[in-house]
Amino acid sequence: MKNIVKLAVVASAAALCLVACAKKEQPKTDPTVENAPIEAAPVQQAAPNADSLAAEQARLEAERLAAERARLEAERARLEALINQIMSEDVYFDFDRSELTEKAKELLAQVGELLIKEERFTITIEGHTDARGTEDYNFTLGAKRAMKVKEFLAAYGIDGKRMESVSYGKEAPKVEGVTEEAYSQNRRANFRVNIKE
Amino acid sequence: MIFLKNKTNFMNSMMVRMVAFALAVALLPAASYATIDTIAVDVGISVFKTMPIGVVPFTENKSIDWIEEKPHQIVTRDAELSGRFDVVASDKFNLPLFSKAHAKHYVTGKVTPVGKMLKVECFLYVAQTKDLLLGETYTVEQKDLRRAMHQFFDQVIFRLWGERGVASTKLAYVSKIDGVKQVVISDYDGFHRSQITRDTTISMMPVWMKGNAGLYYVNFKTHRPKLYSKMFGGSEKSVFPQLDQTYSPAVNPKTGELLFSSTVDGKTDLYIGNPATGKAKKFAYLKSNQTSPAWSPYASEVMFTSDRGGGPQIFVMGKDGSDLRRVTFMGRYNERASWSPEGDRIAYTSMDNGHMNIYTCALDGSDIVQLTNNAGNNEHPTWSPDGKLIAFASNRSGSYQIYIMRKDGSNVTRITNSGENTSPTWSFFYDDIKQQKKEGE
Repeated sequence: MKNIVKLAVVASAAALCLVACAKKEQPKTDPTVENAPIEAAPVQQAAPNADSLAAEQARLEAERLAAERARLEAERARLEALINQIMSEDVYFDFDRSELTEKAKELLAQVGELLIKEERFTITIEGHTDARGTEDYNFTLGAKRAMKVKEFLAAYGIDGKRMESVSYGKEAPKVEGVTEEAYSQNRRANFRVNIKE
Repeated sequence: MIFLKNKTNFMNSMMVRMVAFALAVALLPAASYATIDTIAVDVGISVFKTMPIGVVPFTENKSIDWIEEKPHQIVTRDAELSGRFDVVASDKFNLPLFSKAHAKHYVTGKVTPVGKMLKVECFLYVAQTKDLLLGETYTVEQKDLRRAMHQFFDQVIFRLWGERGVASTKLAYVSKIDGVKQVVISDYDGFHRSQITRDTTISMMPVWMKGNAGLYYVNFKTHRPKLYSKMFGGSEKSVFPQLDQTYSPAVNPKTGELLFSSTVDGKTDLYIGNPATGKAKKFAYLKSNQTSPAWSPYASEVMFTSDRGGGPQIFVMGKDGSDLRRVTFMGRYNERASWSPEGDRIAYTSMDNGHMNIYTCALDGSDIVQLTNNAGNNEHPTWSPDGKLIAFASNRSGSYQIYIMRKDGSNVTRITNSGENTSPTWSFFYDDIKQQKKEGE
């Protein structure tokens, strides 16, 4: 249990970092991938001219390690991107309601697909309400919202053991303010993603 | 079976009434003749009769460098807040003025500096005869004068009303400190504030332990709402850690047991537990979600909020789960009932047009009275232990602050001024032992 909590923290931290880095890095990586084969070709042709076989092997080994590193890096980036995507997929609700809207269901289907593909992911579903109403009732309302999301994902085929739900009531608004605009952003369920080893 | 139960309830309520009557009779001889004027005070919620009382500045034996409010100023504020008195202020004893205003009594005193301390002699006189009804002497530092005067004022209330006053009680509430909600307590008038929780995560929903020895509250340090207890001067303990997402605590005024909500897999139920043993069990097996429990003054019945009609509405049932009935029918959002200590009414919060307002009604939901109107959001009503006052939180000034009003909605007084303060709960009586001694006399 403690491990999972630790992992969750790591995953959250990594994902947070990604929010900052992802946007800058992504445009750069794409051109490099395209350029790579062109540069690699002349190097390979030059290789047979070298006299030392050992040097050749070392070079290949280094290349292999670099490729492996790049692969792991890409995998990590891919998972982080996915976690980030799931964490940014907030599901919105109507006032004092916990039923899923059509839009919410579409979005949850995408999250469901991701969870089916990535079996190591476990999620915590957080239910929230807007600032109106009592603290007490809003806890129960947030809990109902989180539960509706959990039920949908369970019906989509996600094992219940991979999902945990919690209510924050009105205590953790996404947007401060007393306008309908702010309220509608805060009536939501969102996800925290953990990776199970 | 049902008949039998009803009969028992009837017998119980008869017993309660008889005890109450016996108490009233027992108190009569101890109270002054003025009590006869005030015995029929609470005939209706909108008729709030008050007793005029003269207040005369205390004489000062040497010149005193006043940093805090003077004794008669503190008495005046206590009298005005109490919901029991109209203050007739006068520079000196003035019988024509007191008579005209029907002030049959007046308060004054004498202050003498003794080194760094002040010796404060406080007197309650009969205006017509100048007979001394009550005299108390306190020797205190100036910073402790306010609390000494609160004590004196509760004695005045007991002498003139035969009831305990609330000048020595306290409030617990939630205050945003450096952006984080923390639990704080203060005297009932907002003075002597002290911070109880110092967490980086949200603390909220404070309620008083029986005997005011500490508080129960909710904290989010485990990323879930969970109940904790803290004795004043002691350390924090997790309460009922075996249950998930615990909140909305209500202390049984007779036994100290805790009634609270726990949410498991999206379903919220009421649980009852003994914080001393850590044991807790489900209180009611209902299909709906239930929260915001509130005990009746004798802990025989429980009010709570259920969403079985879709939105929140207030219901009531016996402590044994019997006799469930709905209380509120007006409007779509009625929440957080709080049972008056006199037992006859409940205060609750209702939402209309997106605004929260405080109402009271009879136990069967009839005789609804709206106490706040057209002044931002007003929520989280909590009764003073004598049932005369209601404290609540309102954002009428722009930010959320704590206010006190009389139970008919009049005389609204703000008692916090800075930051953001919400969710007040009133302590139990503070002077039980002292008052019991008096009652035994």
